[in-house]
Amino acid sequence: MRRLAVLSLALLAAVPAQAQFSLNLDSLVNTAKDVGKMSKGLAGIGPEEELTIGGSVAIEIASRYGGIVRDEAITRRVNLVGKALARYSSRPNLPWRFGVLGSQTVNAFSAPGGYVFITRGLYDTLGSDDALAAVLSHEITHVARRHALKIIARNDFFSGAMDLASQRSADLQKFDAGIDQITTTLFEKGFDPQTEYEADGGGRGLAITTGYAPGGLRFVLMQLQARGGDPQTTFSTHPPLQERINRLPADPPPP
Amino acid sequence: MSRKALVISALMLAAVPAALAAFAVGGTAFTKRVKTDLLSDSKPFAPVSAEVGYSRKLRIDQVRGMWLHVQDGPNVGWVFSGNVAEEKPTDTKGMDGLPIGASKTSATAAARPLAPAAEQYGDRKGLAQATSDVMWLEGQSDAVTPDQVDEFLKSNQKGEFQ
Repeated sequence: MRRLAVLSLALLAAVPAQAQFSLNLDSLVNTAKDVGKMSKGLAGIGPEEELTIGGSVAIEIASRYGGIVRDEAITRRVNLVGKALARYSSRPNLPWRFGVLGSQTVNAFSAPGGYVFITRGLYDTLGSDDALAAVLSHEITHVARRHALKIIARNDFFSGAMDLASQRSADLQKFDAGIDQITTTLFEKGFDPQTEYEADGGGRGLAITTGYAPGGLRFVLMQLQARGGDPQTTFSTHPPLQERINRLPADPPPP
Repeated sequence: MSRKALVISALMLAAVPAALAAFAVGGTAFTKRVKTDLLSDSKPFAPVSAEVGYSRKLRIDQVRGMWLHVQDGPNVGWVFSGNVAEEKPTDTKGMDGLPIGASKTSATAAARPLAPAAEQYGDRKGLAQATSDVMWLEGQSDAVTPDQVDEFLKSNQKGEFQ
């Protein structure tokens, strides 16, 4: 009965999958092993899958935003501050990686598995470690609270296909299309505003716990607003600056 | 200490209660690393009074600034609030039986390279340069070791060394 239930779940998962990605249904239910993997996909995304998604999304981010700035000193600074913050996050055990993207736009991104990026355009506006920590802690909060994974997990079929792909037994072409769809959603549309405000608040708490100024993020956002940042190139995947500022406590700027 | 520095310090102290809102006397906290030391005092260099494992539920019986006095059965001591979690960790164990990248006691897990399936994804999409960039970044990031982060925290008076 249990096996029948798993098979039923797998078939249910495969129907919308076929509609969206045109996967070959026969290949999905061909072996009990694959069925097992699909049921795991329905239940959630495991650590190996998270790292596979994160690595794939990280490659897409690097590709779309000017590549990684190969400056060892900058990368070391970003990683020291980032890893100090990540140590006190709710997921200190992830293999956290922090990098600067070559793009001159002002933005920051994260990918499942512990990848965090800020653009060169944003990095150059952040003078102090307090300001850098504020931006990184926002992105760390997205990863720690699995915001991207929650979006992905809503698509049951994709979870199953992804799991299979990580074992090299999936329809890889469809996996690629799924990743592309996700990155487009995450990094062009962005998270919904409430998720962003949650990351602002959670990031502020993480910065305080680590010992950075509570007003770091508010200061960064106000600085960008004062410069009259073009919404197309300044945190374009985040809610309007004023909305974010309004929701943060009126902490003083960092020293 | 300058007046400005004093004001900033006072404001940061004032923000502590908000950051600790989830931790209160009578409440609980959870360990989130393979090993968490409980200390005999609310100071980072105090002697270790007990050691608890991963995902243990701790009862909070005292709060002092950003430090919590906790109990897990016979194990009692102080822990910095940043070293515990509000909610039970949900990290699934990896193939080595530990949470993925679990602390510096599992350095090999922490330094996991780009997942082979992700690397293959980059190849299939013709993103060789971006894949190479991410691999370079991983090498640079992993070169920043937990010990170096410890030293950074101490020298900058961050985390439990505030």
